[in-house]
Amino acid sequence: MLWGVPRDAPLPGRRGGRVNALIRHTMCALIPSGGALPGVAECGVDAWIVRFRAETSVMMWIGVVAGSVLFVLTPVWTLGLPVPSLWLGPERLDAHASRLGASSIYPLRQLVLLVKMMACLCWGVDPRVRAVFALAPYPPDPGTWRS
Amino acid sequence: MALVSHLAFSETDVEADADVIVVGSGAGGASIAVHLARAGVRVLVIEAGAWRAGSDLPSSAYGSMRDLLDNWASNLTMGRAGWPIVQARTVGGTTVINSAICVRTPADVFARWQAETGVGGGLADRVWAHQDALERELSVQEVPAGAFGRSNTLATEAATALGWHDHAMRRYVAGCAGSGQCIQGCRALRKQSVDVVFLPEVRARSGVVWSNAPVDRVVFERGRAVGVRGRFRDPTGRRGGRFVARAPRVVVAASATHGPALLRRSGLRGAVGTGFRAHPGSGVIGLYDDPVDMNTGATQGWASMVMRDTPGLKLETLALPLDMLASRFPGFGAAWVRQIAQYRYAAHWVHAVRAESVGRVWSGPFGQPVVWYGLDKADMVRMRDGVYAVARLHVAAGARAVMPGVAGVPGVIDRDSVGILADGPLDPRAYTGILSHLFGGAPMGADPRASACGEDGAVHGVEGLFVADASMIPSNLGVNPQHTIMALARCVGDGILARA
Ligand SMILES: Cc1cc2nc3c(=O)[nH]c(=O)nc-3n(C[C@H](O)[C@H](O)[C@H](O)COP(=O)(O)OP(=O)(O)OC[C@H]3O[C@@H](n4cnc5c(N)ncnc54)[C@H](O)[C@@H]3O)c2cc1C
Ligand code: SF4
Repeated sequence: MLWGVPRDAPLPGRRGGRVNALIRHTMCALIPSGGALPGVAECGVDAWIVRFRAETSVMMWIGVVAGSVLFVLTPVWTLGLPVPSLWLGPERLDAHASRLGASSIYPLRQLVLLVKMMACLCWGVDPRVRAVFALAPYPPDPGTWRS
Repeated sequence: MALVSHLAFSETDVEADADVIVVGSGAGGASIAVHLARAGVRVLVIEAGAWRAGSDLPSSAYGSMRDLLDNWASNLTMGRAGWPIVQARTVGGTTVINSAICVRTPADVFARWQAETGVGGGLADRVWAHQDALERELSVQEVPAGAFGRSNTLATEAATALGWHDHAMRRYVAGCAGSGQCIQGCRALRKQSVDVVFLPEVRARSGVVWSNAPVDRVVFERGRAVGVRGRFRDPTGRRGGRFVARAPRVVVAASATHGPALLRRSGLRGAVGTGFRAHPGSGVIGLYDDPVDMNTGATQGWASMVMRDTPGLKLETLALPLDMLASRFPGFGAAWVRQIAQYRYAAHWVHAVRAESVGRVWSGPFGQPVVWYGLDKADMVRMRDGVYAVARLHVAAGARAVMPGVAGVPGVIDRDSVGILADGPLDPRAYTGILSHLFGGAPMGADPRASACGEDGAVHGVEGLFVADASMIPSNLGVNPQHTIMALARCVGDGILARA
């Protein structure tokens, strides 16, 4: 374990896997389950992060990594607890997410919002989520073009 | 000229020639290309993005960002606030992802251009004549009642209650199916985007389209434009061969950000890159007692121009997909879950600011456009007024609460307290703004020191080089710009034909 992140976290590579796991941790804290709604953890987030990493722009990836690292390192600032967010229990993690997301410091707020936006892209396509809102499942994104 | 009428990629180097090269296949580029092709001109359209037919179009917001949006919509304004600049990078340009709203250029716009830039004698009549034709060619019609949906209906009721003049949108759509998915591209092919209507006609008239072909530079010889060069690159990032295309006339129609960046990369200076403007906007979510199901109905079916002159706003409905709008619901963690649970009861309406602030466009180190832009105080007051106006509209429609998306005020405000938005912050960093209507960067004008091109699109001081997209527009419009851009591009085409 490194900072509570399993060494067998998703591909690619151990170092990449840890970065992915930090993103996963942040996304799951921002978009948990509740009531009839599954959280992003139940919406295939691990595979989604691997795909996102492979497909997105460099700037977008850097932003999401920066937002997640920031999230992990700042409980000392939001809660006065000198531990990474990975060590927080559910209630404190939730309080940390709320306080960081509402920060008065613009770049911090924007980075956390970016991770939330990306998590919502993953969460909002899940057929179970869409069913709760009476939305039809999406057909797959073909990713094809005219050749 | 290559023999095929669509070249999507090439592993090997390619050379071609044409009568006219058009860089960019969006509203401006496709419109001028088909106009020239109809006159028998051999046109080569060179587009950075891929060509996605109906069956290639994505369903999800993720797919739209990956497959259609320029750089995942992660190009941000450089200024106090980093607001995303939303554009498409695909054959058909931003018309593929837009809501196809058609608004004729208001007369006051031409009067302003004439007063401020010296262009315009007779321009209005020529633009309007082209707009008449474009409306026929692109099947412009009002959103049919069957595709209106509850969100648009609520807005109509609200405007009636407030006594605000409003209207159902007129759009370039033939028989809207009301899927609320315009931003992912219209899989039902009802939207008459230029990739569906104009570019097939260009090909049928002996024109050629290259896709996945970002132009790197305009090529000059002895002070005149003689072609362009670049390198094929497919959506996976795979690099192909280099291309060189030659023509006595080159039209840059790569948008108000990429166009000026390309011209600057090619060595042009002066007013190139100046005069960038926009209609920045933001949205307010209203929460209702009964389900709204905003994704049923036309994406944007309703608008009001009652505030176009004072304070300078356009109000519209805008249904966004769940996966895109969810992050706009306030809160994080469990607090967010409580809010998003109300999604079915939510309607998302927006305002666009007729901003007077002016910015600049540069070409960044990797060729990407860098846009320096921020709102001055008067525009920030308009921004704040816009949020308040949309909130009032929701209240008039019966919303029990609104979610304004403004930092520093509560994430959810009950209907009796929306007045606090009238005193909201004037700091742009507090707002969730975006830029989708862009203008300038190569503005037209009579004075070569203050403008990049004339009203005929001809770049000052360079033979054979023209601009025919949003970048030539020297002011805001206060209305949706596609109709103006397409008609101006055709006026540029008229000038090219007259010179030929
Ligand atoms: C979400 C959204 C909704 C909108 N809705 C409406 C609406 O309903 N009605 C309306 O009037 N307006 C709307 N607009 C605005 C409107 O779509 C644009 O103003 C218009 O499409 C701009 O036309 P253009 O030709 O300047 O650029 P674009 O249509 O953006 O076309 C530029 C093209 O150039 C290509 N390009 C860029 N760089 C290069 C290069 N180096 N080499 C080759 N090709 C290049 C791009 O990939 C792109 O395809 C909307 C915009 C957005 C973002
Ligand atoms: S609302 Fe749906 S059917 Fe209508 S134009 Fe947009 S994508 Fe096409």
